[in-house]
This record gives sequence, structure tokens and C-alpha cells, in this order.
Amino acid sequence: MKSEDLIEALAHDVGPVRRRALSLRLTMGLIMGAVATAAAVGLVLGFRPDLWIAMQGTIFWIKWLYTGSLAICASLATVKLARPDSGSFGWLWIALLPVLCLALLSTLELASTPSSQWLAMWLGGSWKVCSRNVVLLSVPIFGGLLWSFRRLAPTRLRTAGAAAGLTAGAWAATLYCLHCPETSLIFVLTWYTLGMALAALAGAALGPRLLRW
Amino acid sequence: MRPSEDFLKQLMTKGLDGDAAAHAQLLRALLPLLRGFYRRRMAGQDADIEDLVQDTLIAVHQRRITYDVARPFTSWLFAVARYKMIDHFRTRGRSFSIEDLDEILVTEGFAERSDASADVDRLLRAIPPKQAAAIRATKIEGLSVTEAAARFALGESDIKISVHRGLKALANRVKDSLK
Repeated sequence: MKSEDLIEALAHDVGPVRRRALSLRLTMGLIMGAVATAAAVGLVLGFRPDLWIAMQGTIFWIKWLYTGSLAICASLATVKLARPDSGSFGWLWIALLPVLCLALLSTLELASTPSSQWLAMWLGGSWKVCSRNVVLLSVPIFGGLLWSFRRLAPTRLRTAGAAAGLTAGAWAATLYCLHCPETSLIFVLTWYTLGMALAALAGAALGPRLLRW
Repeated sequence: MRPSEDFLKQLMTKGLDGDAAAHAQLLRALLPLLRGFYRRRMAGQDADIEDLVQDTLIAVHQRRITYDVARPFTSWLFAVARYKMIDHFRTRGRSFSIEDLDEILVTEGFAERSDASADVDRLLRAIPPKQAAAIRATKIEGLSVTEAAARFALGESDIKISVHRGLKALANRVKDSLK
């Protein structure tokens, strides 16, 4: 095909593009995936029976604040990495803030409990499945983001994959809070973070293959 | 003449607002720009260049929502073009032929020079270091006997003798290797 003909063909299909089209598209993929993940939490795992009571305590909100703030940071990074000229990422150090805050709070929590209970707090009742569940629940969201990326133009595929993986993992963890009855912060700091990190790692591994265009 | 950033950005913005004519005009203006971009970086691969230009035009069209109107258009465009080129080399990478590599080395004159200097190094290592240094200074670097003598703090006759003996030794080694 001659390039001039190609241009003619392309120019036939020109719709208006909204200024926020890129964020909208990523949000749409995110929501589609999140609906599937929320359904999986509700139908397969089940919401925690004391959800309403838990939502009146502080621990639930600390958990949500932790996973939610990471989810927002990761989402913003994903939006940036979806552009070919993605710019600098100095501001991403902010994502360490929630981790440091939670680490501080967990230390305080541990300090105020007898050391005989530390192991029980750290392992909780679900340490064997927590990280795995977070990773599995991130799969639909990651899929939704992959759909978004079909019209986007990342040029650092590994980094973009990691950002998408972390976004999926952190939102999945946020939804997982609706099921997970664990109440110790050291548990969240260890097993939630591990789950989100594994999701990011998987994203980094898959990025170069799945995000190519 | 190369179209200006302002001109291209204006066309892109109009295209994003749904103006098909402006969009077509933009793509046409990008054609020579992209050809130039790839030609400068991939001389002698004309067939691939036209493919890449078309790939890039399609990407510019399909992925235009990733352009942020608050930022310069050309940096966005060349980021897309650069990505397409790297992706092209990456997919070709596995089947990159050795012949192409030879060609590159020949055009750069690299192979000849490195072969020759490797041979000289090998030969000079076979004779006493003092003789080798004298030969290097006078025959390769092109110093005069006086200059070489000054550098090594030796007498001129010493340098001359070293060069003479060294060359004789080299000649013998080469003769031996031809027997």
C-alpha cells in the first residue's frame, strides 16, 4: 500500500477525541476489571459478616487508606506511562509514604502488645492465602487495563507493565479488604504488600509482551 | 521545508476536535518528516523505512488520545517514531544476519584497522620490549630518532640499533611463519 493511500484511508475515520480521553479510557478498563473483582470477592470469598461493624472502627479504614493510597499513586503512574513521552517519575517517591506510615503504626501496635502474641498477629488466620488472593483478584483488573492499553502508547513496556500490575494489585487489595477479617497492621503490612508487589512483578514480567504495539 | 511545531500542533488539535481534513493534512505533513527521521537513523534500509513510516502514521492515528495538548507535539511524535524503530530492531534482532554486520564494519573501515593493529601487536609482543617500544615510536607513531631517544632517555644510536635489531627479528619471525 502506498503511504498516500494509507493516509486517505486513515483520514476517513476521524472522530472527536475528548481532552481527558486517556484517563477516561484507563478508568473504564479499571472499572470493568474492578466490577469483576468485586463480584469475585462477594460471590466466591464472601464479604466479611461484620463488615458494617468493622467499618465503624479505625483498623478497617487504615487498611483502606493504605491500599487505596497506593492504588491512586499506581493509577497516576499508569496514566503517565501510557503516553510515549512519559516524563519524569521523581514524584513517585510519595508512594513510599503509605508504606512508611503503616510500618510506623505496626511498630507502635507491636510495642503495645505482649511479644507472646506477635507471631499470631503477624500470621493472623489467613497468611497462607492473603497474598495469593490479592494476586488472583488483581487478574481481572489487569485484564481491564490491558484492554485500555490497546489504544494507548507506552514506550517503557516493563515499567508500564509494573505500574499496571501494581494498580491492579492495589485495587484488588482494596476490594479484598471487604472480605478479609484480619485486624493487625503488621499482617497487612506483610501479606497485603507482598500480594501487591507480586502483582507488580508479574506486570513487569508480562509488560514487554502484552503491551507491545 | 520542515513544518513548524506550531503548525503541526494546530493541525493535531483540530484533528482531535474531529476535523478530518486537518487530520489528513497533518498525516501528509508528517510523511516527509518521518521519512527524514528514519533515513537519518537507518541508512540503506529503504524498504523497512517506508514500512516504519506507515506503521508510525497508523500509530499516530490510532493512539492519538495519548497526546496531551498541553505538551509539544513533535516530542510526542518522535517518541512514537523512536519506539517504532526500537520495536522494529527488537523483532528483527533475532534474525539479524552476520553479513549485514560485516558490511557495517567494512564501511566504517573498522575491520581492516583492527585486524592490522592486532597483527602488529601480536608481532611486537614476540620481540624484546625495548625493541618493540623503539619500533612503535619511530615506525608507527612516526617520531624521529631524536624524539624517540628523548622520550626513552636513551642515546640516538641505542634507538637506531633497537629498531634495526627489532625489525630484523620481526622479519625472521614472519619468514618462519611462512615456511
